[in-house]
Amino acid sequence: MNKDILVIGGGIAGIQSSLDLAEMGYKVYMVERLPSIGGKMAQLDKTFPTNDCAI
Amino acid sequence: MLDVGRHPNIELMAYSQVERVEGQSGDFSVTVRRKARYVEEDKCTGCGACAEKCPTKVSDTFNEGLGTRRAIYSYFAQGIPSTHTIDPEYCRQLNGKKCGVCKKTCQADAINFDQEDRVVELQVGAIIAATGYEVFDPSCIPEYQYKEIANVVTAVEFERLLSASGPTGGHLDRPADLAIEAEIEALEKKAQKSQRVLDKFEKKYGEASPKFYEKYQKDEFEDDEDLKKWADKYDAHMGIAGPLDSLKKKAEGFGVAKRLAFIQCVGSRDFRFYPFCSSYCCMHSIKEAIIAQEHESETTSTIFGMDIRAVGKGFEEYKIRGGNQSGITYVRGRVAEITQGPDDNPVVWYEDTCQRRVRNQEFDMVILATACAPSNGIKELAQVLGIEINEFGFLKTDPSQPLDTTRAGIFTCGCAYGPMDIPESIVQASGAAARAAQILSDFQMRKAS
Ligand SMILES: Cc1cc2nc3c(=O)[nH]c(=O)nc-3n(C[C@H](O)[C@H](O)[C@H](O)COP(=O)(O)OP(=O)(O)OC[C@H]3O[C@@H](n4cnc5c(N)ncnc54)[C@H](O)[C@@H]3O)c2cc1C
Ligand code: SF4
Repeated sequence: MNKDILVIGGGIAGIQSSLDLAEMGYKVYMVERLPSIGGKMAQLDKTFPTNDCAI
Repeated sequence: MLDVGRHPNIELMAYSQVERVEGQSGDFSVTVRRKARYVEEDKCTGCGACAEKCPTKVSDTFNEGLGTRRAIYSYFAQGIPSTHTIDPEYCRQLNGKKCGVCKKTCQADAINFDQEDRVVELQVGAIIAATGYEVFDPSCIPEYQYKEIANVVTAVEFERLLSASGPTGGHLDRPADLAIEAEIEALEKKAQKSQRVLDKFEKKYGEASPKFYEKYQKDEFEDDEDLKKWADKYDAHMGIAGPLDSLKKKAEGFGVAKRLAFIQCVGSRDFRFYPFCSSYCCMHSIKEAIIAQEHESETTSTIFGMDIRAVGKGFEEYKIRGGNQSGITYVRGRVAEITQGPDDNPVVWYEDTCQRRVRNQEFDMVILATACAPSNGIKELAQVLGIEINEFGFLKTDPSQPLDTTRAGIFTCGCAYGPMDIPESIVQASGAAARAAQILSDFQMRKAS
C-alpha cells in the first residue's frame, strides 16, 4: 500500500483536491500539461456571482 | 495557486503528462514524462529578461490568440511555476538557425538548449483526474460566422479583452479594429524603411522625391540606372503610403465596443453538437455584460437565449440586478444567423418569441457563450488510466458514487466530470480528496492487510 496521491490537472478542481490532501498530511504529486497551473479560471477576468478577481 | 507551489506536501510537475498507469487501488505505479522546457527549473528566477529580448513572436494561446508572446515565455504573468519555457516549434535556435539571444541574456544561466524530456516513476495509492474541459470551437456552426466576422468572439476571448492584464489592458477594442491597427503598424514600419532609402537619394541629388518623380515621369532624364532605382523606390513607397493613409483615416473613427450581443447555448442544447446544458454560460454572459458596463458606463448588452438558467444561490438576483442596473436586455429567442453589417458591425437575426416577430439588430461586438466540451486528449488519458468515458465524452461515474470512475482508486472532480461552475468544482474537489483519503486511511489499510 502506498499513501501518496497523484492529481492530474492543475485547474481549480485539481488545486483544491491537492490542497485538501496536502493539509491532511498526504504527499501529493500534481501533473499539469501546460507550463503553469490555474486552468481556465486563470483566464477569467472576474468570477460570478461575487465578481471577485479570478486569480 | 501560490499555495500549491509553496506547500511542502505538494510536488508540482507542470509541463508534464501521465504516460502509463499500472497496478491497483492502493498501489499504482505511474510513469510521468516531464517535457523539456529548455530552461532549468531550479535556476530560472522568472525575471522575464529573456522574453524581452527574444526576437520571435508567437500567437499567445493564453490570450486566445488576441495578442503575441515570444518563443521563450511564461504561460501568464502570475503563473505558477514562473519558470519560463521555450516553444520548440518556433524557437530559432532549436530549429537550426543562429540565435541564442535568451541564453546570452539570462543572468541565472538557466537556458539549456540540450535539455531532454525526463521520465519519472511514481508510486501512489490513489489518483484524481481533474483534467477539466475545453471551450467548444464555434467555427463549425456556419450560421454564426465565427472567424469569418472578426467582431464575433467567444466568451473566453471576451474575458481576455476585459482583463486588465489582457492584450488590450481591459479596453473593449474590437478585434477587427485591432487587426487594422496591427496592419497600420506593419505598414508604418515598411514606410519608414523605404523613406530612409528615399532620404539617401534625396541627399545625393539634392531634390525632394515627389518633384524628381514628376520630372522623371515627363522623361526629363537620360536613361540612368540609379535614377530608375529612385523612381521605382518612390513608386513602391507611394504604394504603401496610399493604403496606410486610408487605413489611418479609418482608424480615427475607432472606439471601444459599447453595443454588445451575447448569444447563449452555442453548441449546448443543440443536437448537432452537445445536447446538454453547460450550466455556467448564462451566468458568465451576465457577468461579462456587468463588467463591460463597469468599464464603460454607456455600454448596453442584449442577451439572446431560450431561457436564462440562473441556478444557484444569489444567481437569480444577479440576473435581475444586471437588467436593472447594468443595461442588460434579455431577449427570449434563438439566434438564427449573424451577418456582416457596415463598419465591421455584426448583425444578429433572431426571432423574438415573446413578440412573435423576426427581427435583426446591429451590434459593435457579438459574444458567443460556447459549450463546455470534453477536454482534448481525455480519450487517450482514459485509456492510460484504464477508465471509461460517458456518451458525452466526460469521465464516466456511477450515480451512487459520483466521484468514483470505473476503476477502483481513481476519482474525478470538476469539469472532467461534466459542466459545472467554480464553486461546484471546489465542492467536488474536496469530495474527491475525501474519497482518496478514505481509501488510503490507516483503518482501510488495516482492513485490507
Ligand atoms: C468564458 C467563461 C467564463 C466563466 N466564468 C465563470 C465564473 O465567473 N464563475 C464560475 O464559477 N465559473 C466560471 N466559468 C466556469 C469555470 O471555468 C469552470 O467551472 C472551472 O474552470 C472548472 O475547473 P476545472 O479545474 O474542473 O477545469 P479546468 O479549469 O479546465 O482545469 C483543468 C486543468 O487540467 C489540465 N489538463 C487537462 N488535461 C490534462 C492531462 N491530460 N494531463 C495533465 N493536465 C491536464 C488543463 O491544462 C487545466 O489546467 C467560466 C467558464 C467560461 C468558459
Ligand atoms: S447555461 Fe444557459 S447558455 Fe449555457 S447551455 Fe445552459 S441554458 Fe444554454
